Amino acid sequence: MTAVDQLFEDFDDIADLAEGLDDPSPGARIMAVIELADTADPAAIPFIARAITDDDAGVRKQAAQALTDFDGVETAAALVSALDDDDPAVIDAAARSLTELKDPKSGGAILPHLSAANDVKLRACLAGIKELRRVEAMGPAIAALQHVSAEVREQAVGVIGWLQDESALPALRDAAKDADVKVRRTALSALGFSKSDHAEATLVNALADPEWMVREAAAETLAKTGGASCIAALRGVLGDEYWQVRLKAVRSLGKLRATEAAMEIGPMMDVPVPNLRKECAAALGELAVPETAQFLEKYADDRDPDVRKNVRWALEKLAA
Amino acid sequence: MPLAQTATTVPVVVNDDLCIADKGCTVCVDVCPLDVLRIVEKDNGKKTAYMKYDECWYCMPCEADCPTDAVTVNLPYLLK
Repeated sequence: MTAVDQLFEDFDDIADLAEGLDDPSPGARIMAVIELADTADPAAIPFIARAITDDDAGVRKQAAQALTDFDGVETAAALVSALDDDDPAVIDAAARSLTELKDPKSGGAILPHLSAANDVKLRACLAGIKELRRVEAMGPAIAALQHVSAEVREQAVGVIGWLQDESALPALRDAAKDADVKVRRTALSALGFSKSDHAEATLVNALADPEWMVREAAAETLAKTGGASCIAALRGVLGDEYWQVRLKAVRSLGKLRATEAAMEIGPMMDVPVPNLRKECAAALGELAVPETAQFLEKYADDRDPDVRKNVRWALEKLAA
Repeated sequence: MPLAQTATTVPVVVNDDLCIADKGCTVCVDVCPLDVLRIVEKDNGKKTAYMKYDECWYCMPCEADCPTDAVTVNLPYLLK
């Protein structure tokens, strides 16, 4: 052993720590799991994976939580097996840890379960595979859009959205007409990657959705597609009954540099909603149309500091 | 009327039967940002966590991270 080696503690004690997993007391086994996880050594994964089949639910939950710190096929396989547990707390912990996986290879253990009959398991598997962006998940995700559970459909839309494949646009367009608000919202947000006319047409149609949260998502995402029909459609919702929708429309129009909308955004400075005034001032600054100074000047000393800041910034932009 | 000179209840209550401090667990002590929790050995020789200083911010990690759900933080009514 060299002098430098002696300075560092020897961490090759995984096997010693793992002995604690055979302790008769569940508390001691929980501590063994915690200590194994604290080593941050992938060599601990098989031992923690064994603990996920422990007799005590507390140990199983701790093991499912501990696997959050690890990655890879073995981790994913252990977590997927925990989704069949009897204890909801274990399933919950495993589902949460599954979403923390980052290595696309770990998706290999999740892919065979993307047609699981159990709703909770299917939802957790879809949520887990989402950020791993495995193309093989596209087929099962599109199939899951027909699932009876809205939560499963929402996760399926998420998987398709992360894959960002133009060929999945018809599926996302259908999901944008789903009966569930959250599914529609997620589908519309997912359309942001596409520059196609179809995606834009779907978003424009969604501006007339009866639910404000759906209209809000559509107004926000239209700034990303940025095609010819966006600006006219966004100007159409500047009078929406919900200020949240108007806010996103104003922000998107600012991003799209829609100077033709400036004289419509200007009078909105008088609306008694500080959040909206703040956004209007920012958009007017970005658009920098000199005629809008009259709307801004009144609010240079607004009671809301965010509004004041944006108004003064916008006035500087107009003067420049 | 007698005056209460010492506090008799603290916000963080530990269920001694569930606490596994005896097995070496110090999760709640480690996560407390105010460092107000300690491990103590009771008369029967078993160790347990307890609130040594009554300075709780009600941030909750001790309750959330306890592996055996032994910790309960009693939130004051006005914080709920």
